[in-house]
Amino acid sequence: MRAPLSRRTLLKGLSFAGSRALLPLPPLAAMFNAAGTAYAAENAKRETRFVLWFNGNGIVEKYWIPNETGRDYTMTPCLAPLASFRDQMHVVTGLDNPAARMPGPGNDHHRSMSALMTGTQFTGRGAGGPSIDQAVAAKIGGETRFRSLQIGVSQESFGESVQRNMSWANYDRPLPPEMLPHKLFDRLFGQREIGWVNRKRSVIDAIREDAKALQGNLGTEDQKRLTEHLDSIRDVERSIASMPPQYYKVDEPEYDGDMKDWPRIAKLQSDLLAHAFATRQTRVASYMLTKCQGLTRFPWLGLTAARHHDYTHRDGKAPGMDTLDGQRIMRDICKWHVEEFAYLLGKLRSIPEGDGTLLDRTALLFVHEHAEANDHKNNGLSVILAGFHGNLATGLHTRTTGTVADLYLTVADDVMGAGIGKFPTAERKLSDLVRRQATPETV
Amino acid sequence: MNFVRDVWPHLEKADCKGCHNNDGVASTTRLQFPEAEATAEERELFGDSLRRFVDTADPAKSMLVLKPTNKIGHAGGRRIQPGSEAETALVNWVKQLNATKPLARHEERKTHAAHEKPVLRRLTHSQYDNTVRDLLGDISRPSRNFPPEDFIDGFKNQFEGQSISPLLAESYGEAASRLASTAKLPKSPNFAESFGKRAFRRPLTALEKTRYQALFAKGGPEAVVEAMLQSPAFLYRPETALKAENKPYVRASRLSYLLWDTMPDETLIAAAEKGELNTPEGFEKQARRMLADPKAALALDEFVSQWMRFDRVVTMVKDRRFYPNFTREMAVAMTEETRRFVADLVWGNRNFLEFFTSGDTFINGDLATLYNMKAPSDDFSRVSYPAESGRGGIISHATFLALTSKPSETSPTARGLFVREQFLCQNVPQPPPGVNTNLPPQNEEKPMTNRERLQMHLTNPSCATCHNLIDPIGLGLEKFDGVGAWREQLTMRIANFDRRREQRTVSVPIDNRGWVAGIQGSEFQTPSELGAALAKTPQCQECLVKQYFRYAMGRRETPADRPVIARVLADFRGSQFRFQELMIAVVKWTEFGVHADRN
Repeated sequence: MRAPLSRRTLLKGLSFAGSRALLPLPPLAAMFNAAGTAYAAENAKRETRFVLWFNGNGIVEKYWIPNETGRDYTMTPCLAPLASFRDQMHVVTGLDNPAARMPGPGNDHHRSMSALMTGTQFTGRGAGGPSIDQAVAAKIGGETRFRSLQIGVSQESFGESVQRNMSWANYDRPLPPEMLPHKLFDRLFGQREIGWVNRKRSVIDAIREDAKALQGNLGTEDQKRLTEHLDSIRDVERSIASMPPQYYKVDEPEYDGDMKDWPRIAKLQSDLLAHAFATRQTRVASYMLTKCQGLTRFPWLGLTAARHHDYTHRDGKAPGMDTLDGQRIMRDICKWHVEEFAYLLGKLRSIPEGDGTLLDRTALLFVHEHAEANDHKNNGLSVILAGFHGNLATGLHTRTTGTVADLYLTVADDVMGAGIGKFPTAERKLSDLVRRQATPETV
Repeated sequence: MNFVRDVWPHLEKADCKGCHNNDGVASTTRLQFPEAEATAEERELFGDSLRRFVDTADPAKSMLVLKPTNKIGHAGGRRIQPGSEAETALVNWVKQLNATKPLARHEERKTHAAHEKPVLRRLTHSQYDNTVRDLLGDISRPSRNFPPEDFIDGFKNQFEGQSISPLLAESYGEAASRLASTAKLPKSPNFAESFGKRAFRRPLTALEKTRYQALFAKGGPEAVVEAMLQSPAFLYRPETALKAENKPYVRASRLSYLLWDTMPDETLIAAAEKGELNTPEGFEKQARRMLADPKAALALDEFVSQWMRFDRVVTMVKDRRFYPNFTREMAVAMTEETRRFVADLVWGNRNFLEFFTSGDTFINGDLATLYNMKAPSDDFSRVSYPAESGRGGIISHATFLALTSKPSETSPTARGLFVREQFLCQNVPQPPPGVNTNLPPQNEEKPMTNRERLQMHLTNPSCATCHNLIDPIGLGLEKFDGVGAWREQLTMRIANFDRRREQRTVSVPIDNRGWVAGIQGSEFQTPSELGAALAKTPQCQECLVKQYFRYAMGRRETPADRPVIARVLADFRGSQFRFQELMIAVVKWTEFGVHADRN
């Protein structure tokens, strides 16, 4: 057991210091453990990591998708914030999402979301199976403090399960994102003392006994739910059994401040995610910037008349009108999404690990439930693939066929070597497109 | 000719049962398809029952053929093409029915006890907060730090949404450890047993006593509280008793979590222990006692706030150039109006159908301005609408009118859908995948009313089948704008929003004739007329029962629940629609079953 962390120790340079001026991160300061040796050197085996990044509603294709394919594509206005990551990313467009079109309950957003995350049909309540991040976590999440993290930012939503959640443990079983930075901080870096841990353990033992006693008397449906509860308790137990390594001095985000200032929250969450990776507390995360069919407001973009979903349908492409305004608004919104994604990439790239950076060993996928937002278009999706130096073919825009699940499977197995084997609606791997090396490094 | 083999597949393909089912938009018609799980035999019986739609004198004029082909008016439009194989199959089936005698087994239409019903219900967030308030005196509402509950099937307390994710388990853990450390706990040696009985809402088992006494010895009362607040025995409550000896306690919890949204009080537990809850009479007596308690009003508020989606009302966004007076405070006032209005009907023991028809409401200054009325001297005190206002009942509340509108305009479609789904309990099929659901935009030269723009729905056959059931409802409310204020004309802003400085406005007259397809004589032009049409519709009355049933049971009704629903509706109607009687009837008949009362 390591010594307890103090919550109030300071890491200069983290942007969640509230009113404090931002200071640059001292070179490598964060990367040293108590003994002064580089953290990464403690463990020669380098970890692979996976991030599924989502924002709601879709894109405006003409401002988002590059005209040219291949290496010499021109960055579009929406992608511009990623300019400095050009060699560390791959824009893949034209992917299908076939499960979104299976007849069944739900509106286009519900159906597309379930299909996008899980490759399965919307059940009328939630997604029809485990999401791709959970499929990956099942393979590579076993040894870390958290099997996976679900992180969210904007909470503005119509409120239904499939709209509010992107990660799914199983059929109709959402894994809600943590949307409050100070709570995420507490999970990752909160103070833990030996006495607390011991008490927590005996408490959990009692809960587990109670659950087992109850289980015997139940029907299968309830048993299943209780088993899931027990699994959740096991996850809690795992997180308290292993403390975060004493490596980081992370400042606690402040409770006050504008908790609807989404750009600020997004950056706090990205910082914490990067630290969670750096401290090896998890290897898999989903990041829900805005909700499916989201209703986010964008005052910092000067857009106060309506909400995200309203804008997507505000005559964006209507003939005979000043069509450009609606599309320009969507362009600015999409650009903000990409900006926040770029912030996370930058954060990961700023943290050295071994002879590279965290970004080099993290595969990130950036997806939306729709392609052209105004049309609810659910084929021809555009995805950004980033990170994973070495295995991933980067610096490219590729227009392809195949499904978004094909891409997931390729990234999980051929790029990261996670070995998930299959995923619903994945029929063929797109290895030729996205993989740089013939054989992935071992996980 | 075999119905299941030769006819059924055509009807499946035409998706007749998308509307012709108990929860469908055609639930008011005589044709109801069997459940999805129906056996071949039941389908065969159903096929035979279609002889009701056969014209024996002139088979060619049978509704069974004329309706789905839209040769006579069919609200669902043309589902089967004239001259198609499907039509031939129907014509042949009509002939066969006409030539045969009805099957003897007819009336025995079985209902399926749908898939096994789960019995464990997790405390909702609001129940958790109320329970720790009553258990430990903590009024901090710890669920503010839990991952929010999702809406499923219109409510936040449905079984299907009640899994415990790792994040929720962690949140329970944090809350439990905080509550355990801040509560004042006696160190008495029988703490585990006495606290346990209140936390688990039943006496502890022998094993539990041993377990928690050991924990007490190790960690004191704090450890016991911390563990119990995370135990499934606390977090879940069984809907029906898993062990016979717990039955009275389970009943006590059912009553208290439905009627009070919190744990049972001492009186209720005492009644359980004395066996008073074992009879419908004793059970009802407790229920009535509980309804007289102020906690019942808070519990009802929770139901109303979910049913009427207050969460969406208070987070609405309105374009301030169209609705300059709209503020967040006004949105909150809207929900307060509806909350007080319902509370008055329920606790004042009024006929609950006034929910749709009442000429009275409860407003503050903001809402008085919005409604163009004189402000009452006390905020949210009772006022009467001016007769000429056309207002009456929930349909005229800003809650409803604004909630179902877009940021800068009304949405007749959303208003129609809300009425169908929330007040008639009819599921309207979703638009088919990939359909462009955008309306034609406003055109500077020739501005259109919403009625004109929505014409697109009615001229496109794939839209029309559903939209002619939905849109006309909302079109009748077009003289109420996107925040619920009266307007004589539709004033449109011809320009895109946000960027352009110059705005041009155009006004066009509004045709506010509306109707509810499927309800005879429902033509209306005002909210109060629509309300009156709804109030006297059996589907609407039954829907009030269904909505409370869903909330009470944490699930949708199944065919097996129909006898209970019918019985509750009979009680409700018999009481002249007193909502308290509806609450009593739901809790009583779901607990004891209608067979108890059959003779």
